[in-house]
Amino acid sequence: MRKFMVIAIPVVSLLIFIAIMLSGDLLKKPLGDDDNIPEAIDELIETIQMEKWDEAGIKVKELSDKWKRIVNRVQFSSERDEINFFSMSLARLEGALLVRDKVNAVLELKEAYEHWNQLAN
Amino acid sequence: MPLNEGLVVFVRSIIAFFSLLIFTRIIGKEQISQLTFFDYVLGITIGSIAASLTTDLSSRAWPHWVGLITWAALGYLMEIITMKWRYAAKVLEGQPDIVIMNGKILEKALKKSKYRASDILELLRNQGVFDLNEVSYAIMESNGRLSVLKKPEYQPLTPNDMNIQVKDKGISTELIYDGILFSENLRQAGKDEAWLMSRLKAQGINDISEVFLAALNPEGNLYIDKYDDHIQKAIDIGDYKGPF
Repeated sequence: MRKFMVIAIPVVSLLIFIAIMLSGDLLKKPLGDDDNIPEAIDELIETIQMEKWDEAGIKVKELSDKWKRIVNRVQFSSERDEINFFSMSLARLEGALLVRDKVNAVLELKEAYEHWNQLAN
Repeated sequence: MPLNEGLVVFVRSIIAFFSLLIFTRIIGKEQISQLTFFDYVLGITIGSIAASLTTDLSSRAWPHWVGLITWAALGYLMEIITMKWRYAAKVLEGQPDIVIMNGKILEKALKKSKYRASDILELLRNQGVFDLNEVSYAIMESNGRLSVLKKPEYQPLTPNDMNIQVKDKGISTELIYDGILFSENLRQAGKDEAWLMSRLKAQGINDISEVFLAALNPEGNLYIDKYDDHIQKAIDIGDYKGPF
């Protein structure tokens, strides 16, 4: 029993560590109805292309809330750089919407999408 | 932003700390004194990777951890190879070189091991040898330490030289440590608690909790150290007045 514990404790510990470190790819996927980032980005691009600026403003707020929920989940397994880059893209997107700059808004969303793909990968 | 850097570093520290502990328990059977130069570099590198894993939040923990386990696995592999295959051990860990033979310094061996004569003299002094005339053999071990065999006329006199019979002293057994009695050790020493208490009482000790350390040697002599040492003023060997 003692020998079993001597082997089992380190093995289980290492497996838990690996699970924490690799959990990001799983945890960034939607677990509910209000945390689907790729879908939110696609919807936002569509809204901006139709120049529905007020609706886009609401959707950016929703995207930002979803992003905060995701960051909480993936912070232990992902790189801070990608998290920061995504947040910066969101901030620039808000600026582009403020001046109703369609080109820059779509550019920022596309960049945010790329950072999303790179997150925890 | 809900990102909590302190918490992330805390979790990563736990991962790095226990991973390092597990890996070093697997590969680190050698004593520090037996480390070769490569083992030393291996230790520094693994430690450095663990440090990055803990605090480098700009990248994920996983690649650092893979680096950590790869270095540890390669270190372990090298250990297995050098243990099973003597040829590889010679190449990977080096071998002892004789640098002084029959009292003569072997310059070629010295050059090969990248040591100067002054280094050898220093290593000899570390071994208590201040005169080269005393040395018969000096061997540079693969861990960089110098082993010295003095000429017979300079070797210390032993009881064997004088044909004196000496008793084997054996090793002492701890009976009490930190006020706690080790009943198993007492039983193995062939004594009982009544005997121990009578010996303690003879020294003015009424309770085991007063004792910091008690050890019994094979000759039956009991060493007792109490918490209360009755030393009025301990000698201070410090050479400079510091904060404490």
